[in-house]
Formats: sequence, structure tokens, C-alpha cells
Amino acid sequence: MTTTIAKKEFTEIFRDGRFRWIAGVLLLMLLVAAITGWNQAQETKAEREAAAKMDEQTWLAQGNKNPHSAAHFGHSAFKPAAALSYVDQGLNAYLGVAIWLEAHYQNLSSHRPIEDKTALQRFGELTLAWTLQYLVPLLIILLAFSAFAGERERGTLRQLVSLGVPSRKLALGKALGVAAALALVLIPATILAAVLLAGLRTGESFGEAALRFITLSGSYLLYFAAILGLSLAVSAKVKSSRVALLSLLGFWLISSLLAPRLASDFAERLHPSPAVSEFWSAINKDMQEGIDGHNPSDERNKQLQAKILAQYNVKELKDLPVNFAGIALQEGEEYGNQIFDKHHSRLWALYGKQAGAQQFASVISPLLAVRNVSMGLAGTDLYQHRHFAEQAEAHRRKIVKLLNEDMTRNAGTQDYNYLADPALWSKVPQFEYAPPSLGWVLGNQFGNLLILGLWCAATAFIAARAAGKMRVD
Amino acid sequence: MLEALNLTKRYNGTVALDDLNLKIEPGEIFCLLGANGAGKTTTINLFLNFIAPDGGAAKIKNLDVTQHPLETKKFVAYIPEQVMLYKNLTGLENLEYFSALAGHENYSRKDFLNFFGQVGLPSDAADKRVSTYSKGMRQKVGIAIALAKNAEALLLDEPTSGLDPKAGNEFSELLKRMSGNGVAVLMATHDLFRAKECGTRVGIMKHGKLVATIGAEEIGHTDLERVYLEHMRE
Repeated sequence: MTTTIAKKEFTEIFRDGRFRWIAGVLLLMLLVAAITGWNQAQETKAEREAAAKMDEQTWLAQGNKNPHSAAHFGHSAFKPAAALSYVDQGLNAYLGVAIWLEAHYQNLSSHRPIEDKTALQRFGELTLAWTLQYLVPLLIILLAFSAFAGERERGTLRQLVSLGVPSRKLALGKALGVAAALALVLIPATILAAVLLAGLRTGESFGEAALRFITLSGSYLLYFAAILGLSLAVSAKVKSSRVALLSLLGFWLISSLLAPRLASDFAERLHPSPAVSEFWSAINKDMQEGIDGHNPSDERNKQLQAKILAQYNVKELKDLPVNFAGIALQEGEEYGNQIFDKHHSRLWALYGKQAGAQQFASVISPLLAVRNVSMGLAGTDLYQHRHFAEQAEAHRRKIVKLLNEDMTRNAGTQDYNYLADPALWSKVPQFEYAPPSLGWVLGNQFGNLLILGLWCAATAFIAARAAGKMRVD
Repeated sequence: MLEALNLTKRYNGTVALDDLNLKIEPGEIFCLLGANGAGKTTTINLFLNFIAPDGGAAKIKNLDVTQHPLETKKFVAYIPEQVMLYKNLTGLENLEYFSALAGHENYSRKDFLNFFGQVGLPSDAADKRVSTYSKGMRQKVGIAIALAKNAEALLLDEPTSGLDPKAGNEFSELLKRMSGNGVAVLMATHDLFRAKECGTRVGIMKHGKLVATIGAEEIGHTDLERVYLEHMRE
């Protein structure tokens, strides 16, 4: 009986010329978004690879140079385009694409694509994620708002109910019919997206990317099911299809436009982010209280001198078998690292609090939940950015330490006049970002996935109940 | 088969149906006459459990319809005053859909065309979309749906509205044939002629009350119109 109802719903929808038009346009948008997203990901990948290569070449071509000067000259860590970034650009535009790795400082990422964009481009790009999050729900609403209310108005509901059709089967059949119509749009788009994924060669393994793709598709299906359940529930509950359509469009406005906006304002007000200048001045304040590798006259440096002289059992710095400037530099570096760890982990904790505050809004806006899951799986969210920034920082510390150690070992009494052999530069490893596993992403997104699941279960329950209590006219 | 026991329905304090007691046996055709708002449609809606009674009970095959809403519907077929169909489907697809939902999934195309033949619907109309149908044609599809359901009782709410006299007559013949096979029929109608022609009993309703019942033995030689108008005057 359920399949009979589903088949009839599908036939009716499919024979409606308006559906064919809207579905056709939407499918076209999805295909275009997939292809342009893919092209953009390819370009980004090529650009960043070229930039990383150039950076490496410049590094290697430094010639004879003091290691600490080289550490100041620095390296850059480029964030590779994530395999699924063609589906969801996420926060990419707002997060920098590279981090400058230099001595003494843990820098924030720089080169935010949004800085190069016009006001109009800021409004939003046509991406798969945007189309799936904003437009597909509209299609679902258009397909389902009249499911019950329309039959009630036309009078067919009386005849249907007079046959003794159980209301739950009716609701399920209608849900499946709409889902089948939706599949006409979503299946071709998914196939194309999957083919494009196979054609995209990134650093990540294809198996991992495919798993992410499948999880991503599943998450969107949960989101669509929630919208469909809600549409059917409203259609069964309200008197006319007009009221059903208006209520559902109202929900769409709140869920997609109002709630995300208010949630981010609310989160920012509750846990204000520091201005970049404030962030740095707090770090500098802490630094001034510690030793400075360039200035051997302060308190901590004296203590370090005494400690090192005692360790090697000599009276003067010039009698040391190692270079003291190198030791002092590394000591200063490690002291600074503690300060950076303190301030950066505070900043990330603040972002975490903001995300938590925003999550409350996903109780009324499933879009917020799916948006986070989507960005998370695409690897374009704040979590993965932190993951990247932490690896880049670990790499920075490794490079600086290697250079300081070379100075300690080989500079003798020359200090900053010592010039290292160019062979040293090639000992510095290249930065290779290792993206996190799917399990790591799922751990971060557990709350959002749970909310999506609850949305699905709740709307299915409400739809079944509303259909059970439905009036025939 | 169909039984109303002290059946009462009020809408915002106004009595729409007042203490109706009625029993229709298999093979009977009970015609309910009355002005608009007399309670005829309310009675049928109560039997279909579309609305809940404020007192008494409507029973189909001795089952209270409010307690067995799905089961009792299996025994009855319903034809409303305006049969509404899915306009993007053909007549045959509509019949097929409603039959399948009523539990008859094994009918062949030939069976469906046969039902259309019985209700006087031309076979070339079967594959046309219902949006091209006239009201009379839609009504005939409704009758075919009821026929295909193979029900033990019929609840008819002015089923012949919009039918031309010939089709109305064919419908009367069809009803008589079905009652001959033991089907119980409750038909609300304005059509005195049709009531006299095929009814085995006729009830006259006024302000929610069944004010008169004319039995099978009198119906043939009663001037129905005169009796009806007398009741309406009071």
C-alpha cells in the first residue's frame, strides 16, 4: 500500500510541468556548482603547490647566511586544498591560506581570499553546499506543502480516508513519493560529484576522501529528511495549503537566514573575540617579562649564562666549546612557545565557546547543524584550520630548533657573524600537511550529527502524529 | 449492517443531528430526504468517522466506527456529492489507485474497463486525464470506485448530482442490482423521483431529526412529494 501511494505521488509530481522546470533548473545549478567548484579546487591546488615550490626554492637559494638570519627570513606553510573543498568552501574565504613560519613568532594565517573579493562576491558563491543547504529545502517544501492540505482542499482526502487507509502508511507513502521525485535531481548530481572526486588528485588518500563523501551525502540526506518530515507535518496540521506554504517558507527564512545570523551575533556578544592588536599586545607583554635572545643583559640571560658556564665548568663565555648565542636563542624560543601555547589555546577555547553558543540555534535551524557537518567533512572549517595551524607551528619549532642547534654547535665565538654552509638549508624538511582522519572529524561533529538525527526523528514522529489526527475537511 | 443508536451531533451548540435511531439491513436501500442542513450529510460523515459524535454511536457490522475506524471502513464504499479525483492521473489510474488502497491490487485492466462499462463511462475516456472530465464523468468514476471496492454497504451523499437522467436511471438500476446481492445502502438525496424509484425505505429529516419513515410496503403507492412537503411545512 505504501509503494502504491508513493508511486501515485511520484507520478503526480512528475506530470506537473512546474516540477520539471524547477527540478531541471536546480539540477543544472548543482551540476554547474560541482564543475566550477572542482575547477576552483584544481586551480587552488596548483597555485598552492607552485607557491610552496617557489618558497622552497627561495629557501634553498639563500647561500651563505647566519642560521638565525635564515630563521628570520622564514618559510611558509601552505594549507593544501582539502579533497572535498569543491563541495563546500566552508570558511576558506575567511581563513588564511598560508602561515609564515619565522623565528620568535607564531604567526596567524594570512592571505584571506575574502580580502581580494568585491562586496557582491561576499554575498555568496554558487557552491554545491550552498545549493544543497538553501535551495534543495525550498524544492522539498514546494513538493510537500500540499501533500495533505492540498488533498483536503480538493476533497480527495475524504475519499482516501473513507477507504480505510492507515494514516501512517499514507504519510510514509507521500514521503517516499516526494523522495523519489527529489532523487531525480539528487542522484545525477551525486554521480557527477563522485566522478569529479575520483578525478581530483590531492594529497589525501582516495579511500579516506570517498568515506568522507559518503558520510557527507548521508548527512545531507538526514537534513533533507528533516525538512520533508516537517513539511508533511505542517501540511497535515494546518487548514489550507496556502497556510502550509506560508508557514514553511517562514520556517525556511528563519532557519536559513535569520537564525544563523542571530546565532553568530549572539555568540560574538557572549564571547567577544579579541582584536588582532589586542591579541598581540597581550603576547608581547608576556614576552617582555621573559628573556630575549637578542639581549644578553637581562635577568634571565644572566641566570642562563651562569648555568651554562657551570655546566661546562668554564669562567668566560669565550671558553665555551659551544656558541652561547645559539643556546640563548633556543632558550628564548622555548620560553616564547609557552606564551604562544597559552594565548593560542585561549583563542581556540574562545572559538570553541562561540561554536557551542551557536549550536543552541540549531534547535530551530537544522541548516546550522548541517552547515557545520558539511564544512567539517569537507575539511574547510575552523577545526581543520586549527589542525593545520598546529602542524605548521610544530614544523616552525622544528626548523628554528634545527637552525639554533647548528649555531650552537658551529658558531664558536663568531655569534651572528657566523655563516652557515648552504647545505644546511636542505637539511630543513619541507612542510607536509597530514589531514585528520574521518574519525577525528566525526568526533568534532558528534553534537551536530546528533542534532540532525534528532531533527529527523522528531519531525517523522510529529508528521506521523499529525497525519493520525488529521481532519478530512 | 448499518446502525445508528441515539446518534447525536452538535456544532457550537446547534444540534445538527438529534438522537437518530436507524437500522439498515443487507439488501435495503434507505433514502434520506430533507432540506439542506437537515442532517443528512452529518449522518454519513458520522458513519465514516470523519467527525466524532456528541452522543450515541454509529455502527457498521456491529462495530462502533469510532473504536474501529479502519476496520469499519473496509465494509463500506462512499460516494460524495462531488467525487474528487487526481487531475493529473487518468480515469483508469484514479480507479486503479483507489482500488489498490481499498485492498484490491489484483484487478486487471480488463476488470477496470468492465467497471467503467457498468457505470456507463465510455472506454476511450479511461486513458484520458481526469482534468478533461465533466462533473458527470467524475461522478461515474466515483461510482466505479465504489463498485470495485466490492463493499457490503454503500454510503451515498447525493451520488447522482450532475448525472443526466439516463445516467441517473442506470445508477438506480445498478443500486437495485447491488442491493439484490445483499448490499445495504444509505443514500442521502434531494431527488424524490430517484428515492421512490429505487428506495426500499425512505426517511424524511428535518432539523436533525428523522421525522418520518415510509416503509417498503407503502412506498409504491405513496405520493412522496405531498408527504415530503407536508413535513416541510410543519
